[in-house]
Amino acid sequence: MTSPFPDAAGPVARADGHAGEDLLAGYATGTVDPVVVWSVEAHLTGCARCRSALSAHVDAQRLARNRSVLLVHAALGDGGRVRRLLRRCGVPDHLLRLLAATPSLRRSWLLSVLAVLAVVTGAAAAVRYGWIPAGGPAGLAGYPDPEVLAPFLLVAPLLVLAGVAAAFLPMFDPAHRLAVAAPFSGFTLLLVRTVSALAAALVPVAGAAFVLPGPGWLPVALLLPSLALCALALAAATVMEPRAAAVTAGTSWALPALLLAATHVPLLIVQRNAQFACAVVLCASAVVLLARHDRFELGWMR
Amino acid sequence: MDEMTLNVRTAAVRVDGLSRRYGATRALDEVDLKLERGITGLLGPNGAGKTTLLSILATVSEPDAGRVSVFGLDPREAAERVEIRRRLGYLPQELGYHRHFTVAGFLDYVAILKEITDRRRRAEEVARVLAAIGLDRHARKRIRALSGGMRQRLGIAQALLGRPDLLILDEPTAGLDPEQRLRFRELLSDLPGDPVIVLSTHQADDIAAICPQVVVLLPGRVHFAGTPAELAATAAGRVWAAGERDTRAHLSWRGGDNRWRHIGDDPPAGAELVAPTVEDGYLLLSHAAGVR
Repeated sequence: MTSPFPDAAGPVARADGHAGEDLLAGYATGTVDPVVVWSVEAHLTGCARCRSALSAHVDAQRLARNRSVLLVHAALGDGGRVRRLLRRCGVPDHLLRLLAATPSLRRSWLLSVLAVLAVVTGAAAAVRYGWIPAGGPAGLAGYPDPEVLAPFLLVAPLLVLAGVAAAFLPMFDPAHRLAVAAPFSGFTLLLVRTVSALAAALVPVAGAAFVLPGPGWLPVALLLPSLALCALALAAATVMEPRAAAVTAGTSWALPALLLAATHVPLLIVQRNAQFACAVVLCASAVVLLARHDRFELGWMR
Repeated sequence: MDEMTLNVRTAAVRVDGLSRRYGATRALDEVDLKLERGITGLLGPNGAGKTTLLSILATVSEPDAGRVSVFGLDPREAAERVEIRRRLGYLPQELGYHRHFTVAGFLDYVAILKEITDRRRRAEEVARVLAAIGLDRHARKRIRALSGGMRQRLGIAQALLGRPDLLILDEPTAGLDPEQRLRFRELLSDLPGDPVIVLSTHQADDIAAICPQVVVLLPGRVHFAGTPAELAATAAGRVWAAGERDTRAHLSWRGGDNRWRHIGDDPPAGAELVAPTVEDGYLLLSHAAGVR
């Protein structure tokens, strides 16, 4: 009779064609050649007797551990389409996992951003195209073009800032004490979260700017102020309490935006001089942030 | 300043002259302490500074004055602080959770923060701590669906990730039922590698059951450091059992056997001297320190 285990060395196959104890022990501990493994597996598929004999050689604890690991893998899942796509683009899996704790990447937050943008964009469009007659809502009535853009110009960069602030303020991270006490770089965590929150907020803001009845360059013009505000908030957080830093950055945008809106020239907030000022703020903030990034490693628990 | 030290060969954790204020409140007042490997119980009333001390040891808070050394590393130095954190497991007193996370997802997140970036190793580590704490059947459950006791066990599980050398547990048995407390004691006793474990608690019986060393912190200062037997012995000859209440006693209460237990210097009439417990020693120290 031909042995069903042709490549197994030594007295491993019994005369009756079943697997010997040594072979089963080697298979269970993973110490036999791959070719023999395939032969044994093919045999086990159709032989209840050998399957039963194999159970005596299996390390029950190891089996339980493997089962637990498989259950954990199943519980964690692969993170859905977006995470799969980003993984394929080369973003490390563990960085993507960290984003799960970023509130401004959650669906509820993003829906809120979309709702606010829909209101200010819709209001601007309604006034621009005459859907709201003159003497309509107080904040918009009487504003000829381009003043209908004033609410949007005020709110859009602040929405981006709010998303970034939610990504780095300890008050939005219930487990931030664990993050502080962990060896993972606080600055890296901050960058991962803020960059992703920034991207997630800029996309709908730029989209809304495209559909607004304003100048075609508006979506691009909002980019620099948004980046400058976020960088200013982060840089300020290295010298003051983080919440105060976010409020300071927000105020530094809201005040001039309101002032220019009140003087009927709201678009000045995104035109050449303002862009230059934002570039200066962005560069200065980046320098401060790089010089003082170790402040994010200390924790903010004082 | 008296230096309160444990009988140690080499102190794994050393604290010298540690002070910390919150406004006008002095949470820690020149605390000196040496801790060796094994379990140390930190006993004290609310507001004694236990959480402040533990958060400083965990490198989460900074002291106003004094020095801390953990395995010879100085947390004031950035690189050494990171090294301490690599060897640390920390359960804060009020651990917040991302409630939308699953049990496994939360542990996976904390494992990444502990620099376990390899996916397979992370899953193995998460499975290990889940099994250790008895939550393996709940890996897929959302945290918002867990009971208070299960959340506390999840907090303990995250502290065990990465097999820490220094385990700091701030009131780990709060919210656990008696059976879970027993399992917790068993778990700590079986931890391999002889780590330094510091746990704060209000439960004197937890201290007596598992801690070879105990430190009593009474508003801001260390009032005792030694073994539970030595703490109990501080009340020797001052604990009495009697049928009637004696108002001269520092503290007295009626036990389950309907007899009054008195702690004081003068024996009540007809009282018999009883063996003191860790709780008696602690209560006597608290009374002497003026804690009410």
